[in-house]
Amino acid sequence: MSFQIDCPNCGCRPVWEYHYGGTPRQRPDGSATERQWAEYLYNRPNIAGEQTEWWYHRSACKLWFLVRRDTRTNQVLETKRFASATE
Amino acid sequence: MTSESGTTQPESIEFEFDGHRVHAESGQSVAGALHAAGEHIVSRSFKYHRPRGLLCMSGRCPNCICTVDGTPNVRICTQAAKPGMVVKSQNAWPSVKFDLLRIFDKLHRFMPVGFYYKRMYKPRWMWPVWEKFIRRIAGLGTINREHGAEGVYDKQNLFTDVAVIGGGLAGLNAALAAADAGVTVTLIDEQSELGGHLRHDPDLAESIISRNALASGSSASQPDASAFRLISLSDLIRRVSEHPAITVISSAGVFGCYEGNYLGIQQGQRMIRLRAAQVIVATGCWERPLVFENNDLPGVMLASGAQRLLHLDHCQFPGEAVVVTDNAQGYRVANQLKAAGTRITAIVDVRDNPPESADGIRTFRGHTIISANGSRHVSGAVIAPLAGHPKQTLSCRWIVQAVGFTPANSLLYQNGCKLRYDESVDQAVVIQHVPSMYSAGAVNALHDPRDAALDGQHAGLAAAESLRSPRLCGETEPSIAEATQRRGERKEDSVPSCHYVSPSGAKKKFVCLCEDVTEKDICDAIDEGYSNIETLKRYSTVSMGPCQGKMCQSASIAICARHNGQSIAETGVTTARPPEQPLPLGVLAGRALHFSLVRRTPMNAWHEKAGAKMGDAGNWKRPQVYSSVDQEYEAVRQRAGVIDVSTLGKIELRGADVVKFLEFIYPNRFANLKVGRVRYGVICDDAGILLDDGTIARLGDDRFFLTTTTGNADAIDSWFRWWLAGRPEWDVRMTNVSGSYAAMNLAGPRSREVLKKLTDADLSSDVMPYLAASECQIAGVSAIVLRIGFVGELGYEIHVPSQFGLHVWEAILEAGREFSISPFGLEAQRVLRLEKKHLLPGIDTDALSNPLEADLPWIVKLDKDDFIGKESLARAQQRGDRNKLVGFRLSEFVVPDLASLVLCDGKLGGRITSCGYSPAVGGTIGLAWVPANLARNGETIQIQVNGRMIPAVVQDEPFYDPSGSKLKS
Ligand code: FES
Ligand code: FES
Ligand SMILES: [Zn+2]
Repeated sequence: MSFQIDCPNCGCRPVWEYHYGGTPRQRPDGSATERQWAEYLYNRPNIAGEQTEWWYHRSACKLWFLVRRDTRTNQVLETKRFASATE
Repeated sequence: MTSESGTTQPESIEFEFDGHRVHAESGQSVAGALHAAGEHIVSRSFKYHRPRGLLCMSGRCPNCICTVDGTPNVRICTQAAKPGMVVKSQNAWPSVKFDLLRIFDKLHRFMPVGFYYKRMYKPRWMWPVWEKFIRRIAGLGTINREHGAEGVYDKQNLFTDVAVIGGGLAGLNAALAAADAGVTVTLIDEQSELGGHLRHDPDLAESIISRNALASGSSASQPDASAFRLISLSDLIRRVSEHPAITVISSAGVFGCYEGNYLGIQQGQRMIRLRAAQVIVATGCWERPLVFENNDLPGVMLASGAQRLLHLDHCQFPGEAVVVTDNAQGYRVANQLKAAGTRITAIVDVRDNPPESADGIRTFRGHTIISANGSRHVSGAVIAPLAGHPKQTLSCRWIVQAVGFTPANSLLYQNGCKLRYDESVDQAVVIQHVPSMYSAGAVNALHDPRDAALDGQHAGLAAAESLRSPRLCGETEPSIAEATQRRGERKEDSVPSCHYVSPSGAKKKFVCLCEDVTEKDICDAIDEGYSNIETLKRYSTVSMGPCQGKMCQSASIAICARHNGQSIAETGVTTARPPEQPLPLGVLAGRALHFSLVRRTPMNAWHEKAGAKMGDAGNWKRPQVYSSVDQEYEAVRQRAGVIDVSTLGKIELRGADVVKFLEFIYPNRFANLKVGRVRYGVICDDAGILLDDGTIARLGDDRFFLTTTTGNADAIDSWFRWWLAGRPEWDVRMTNVSGSYAAMNLAGPRSREVLKKLTDADLSSDVMPYLAASECQIAGVSAIVLRIGFVGELGYEIHVPSQFGLHVWEAILEAGREFSISPFGLEAQRVLRLEKKHLLPGIDTDALSNPLEADLPWIVKLDKDDFIGKESLARAQQRGDRNKLVGFRLSEFVVPDLASLVLCDGKLGGRITSCGYSPAVGGTIGLAWVPANLARNGETIQIQVNGRMIPAVVQDEPFYDPSGSKLKS
């Protein structure tokens, strides 16, 4: 892996400055069934294509932000802060 | 030999080859010097130990691999001769001239394709014998363990707008066009001087200059030339070398092109990692050999190899030569050899009506070579019409082949460009580039110098242009369209012959010189079912040798296609992966000192001066022991000790929602934590797994100071930020102050008296009881003081701004002198905490440990609102404990290794995670995971030590001060 990611704070930096945080998932609340919890805890999608994921700029500004990436080519299509993502 | 002036007298040097002396001119390659000295056998082949001589002279075949000054597997054709050099041939015994292992050549019946799969696995008991034999016979070169690496293997990181790979005509033009358009350019070239193959093909270089003169004279009649300038090669090289925006990296090979246009480059003992915004691949082609009988005999050469020897190494080819060709290069090389004094017996041209002709040289049209005669060197050539007969023999010492090219396109494949074999040019060409990647010149099948130059200029301009307006994925790059168009304009006469293999012949016809794979081997493998090019490669080992298929890829595909009755395009290619060429492991492993972080605490210099034995804790250096563990232990238990804990992670949280956040992060309760109090806490994930522990101090209503373990400082920082990132509406402001504070733990029954001397604050148990947190002045410095006791004694964890860390540390030691205070290291701390049964996350716990089972059930407050891990912990509680972390006391005086097994009824039951000798107990104690039914006070468990079972007794209470009275004193 040697692609680059645009940190909303720091700009374009190599991937090894970052830490992958998985795709955003809804955390079940207390009323969820055991199956829903198991799904949340242990199953991860493994998409061949575009997906949105969390990345953490661990070696620099320590920001968690969202990246849209094509898992087949590791092309980064978009990066944004979480707050602006919900707007 | 200097190229600038003919007046410089070539300096003569001497080196050693297989024990005897060889003269060389300075600047000559080792291989060139051997050729001039008449040493034509330079290696022995891998499997059959056949004699092999120089072939490509460009580092792309296996034939000249030798050991040079103790370094194995050096290609001597790209290695300049140096005085005193010691060159040894490889893979021969006793010598390349007389190799007894040549016997394998006669035994080929017993070594059919895939013989190691067929012959050597049965009977099973024979395998050790086979293995020894194979190990000795197989492999290339021997590593000299005494020798070590000469000099330093190093790494360098570079950045550029446009990287151009290849310093030939296309690459030079691309670099200049891009640089003139205003971007920075890095040109990487494998040769020591720029110019590509024109360096050794002077006639071709001449022809461009004269055509340029023509083009510039009548540019109006040349519409496409009006936009571009063509200049002579020497002019071009001068302008590229002098251009301020162009950096040239010479004698360097690009071995990999990774995503994000990240290039791996080897330059001698250095690895350069180059990040480029745009990459132009102008790597050209290399010549491919023809497959005919005895085609591996010394004296059989590629035309470009012969040209390199002629023009770069100033060698000659005494005697007669036969030139086999299907293109114009064959005629040029014939003329050049003739001019150098070689008698050309004949040109054998595959084509019936070639447009070229050679004055005064006999030419056989529609003919090809069938066989090379000779045993240690070529003595003749058998030729025939393409049908295979009638045959005739020509006498010659040299067979020079100019039968087409293989494009150097593996970097394009590596990076995901799509290529397709195009029969009209007998070459794979790009049909779709990946974004930010271009190709130019011969790799695009544009072999005419003028086409290559223009293609390079197009690519250079396009790359510079797209830096201004980034192109979208999949959009066709202009240079492909241009190239396709120009390829379409090729004249009839340049249609390639697609001639890879000569007809007939019963003797060995080598396809893969590296692995000694013959045409018959490939056909046999296909007949055995390995008809797919990928399985064929693995089974027959074709293209798996040191040249990585450069010499055999084209022919093996052609043979595979023919034998399967398919087209070359249908047959496909094997996957191209880095490295593009073999790399010395030192280049990959080389030092990158500035990348390995070392962290030292503010008190580090003091520790070192005190003679502490330092150890690694992650990136940190920490004192393990100063003088003796026993003395340090004793100081803490009897009097006072102090340990540097600056490495702890430290986080400050402020804001109205901090309590809500802490209640959510930790399984225990924080809403009721009063200002001025500190509490122990563990952090779990949503599966209820224990991640870390630490203390949480409330310094104000909405101000908290947290510590994490040393090892998890960064992970917990990231963990907190992740949960906060999804809750931007929470008013929690987080600052990682790990580096801002130095910290030390003062512990022992006299510690209050020590600290009292350094502060006006009231330290009495009424004002500052166990688990109090206060901010006060210590030795004149503002400090956060936590009364906690990891080691089980009255103690204070003192945090002060880093810059005063050493000052406060020294003040404490000074104040404690009258109590015989001692600094203590991690080793003493491990024993002290073990006696209190305090677990270390990550050492006593793993990815399956939850706090319920890790002996911390009291910390989990399932009646709280939602917190991380609540659901899982609730379910774990319902289910009941399966395993538990317990303390144990061993019945014998031994200290078992960590992870020693706990056996129950002879079956695996658990393992120990910590253990050591406890002075307080007078025996060995430890922590172990055991099945829940054994986790009862007084239960006996069996621990395996050196194959023996030793009983141990489970103990619920801490081994030292079970009531905690010392802690609270
Ligand atoms: S002759 Fe040296 S690698 Fe081919
Ligand atoms: S010739 Fe080198 S791998 Fe086949
Ligand atoms: Zn950043």
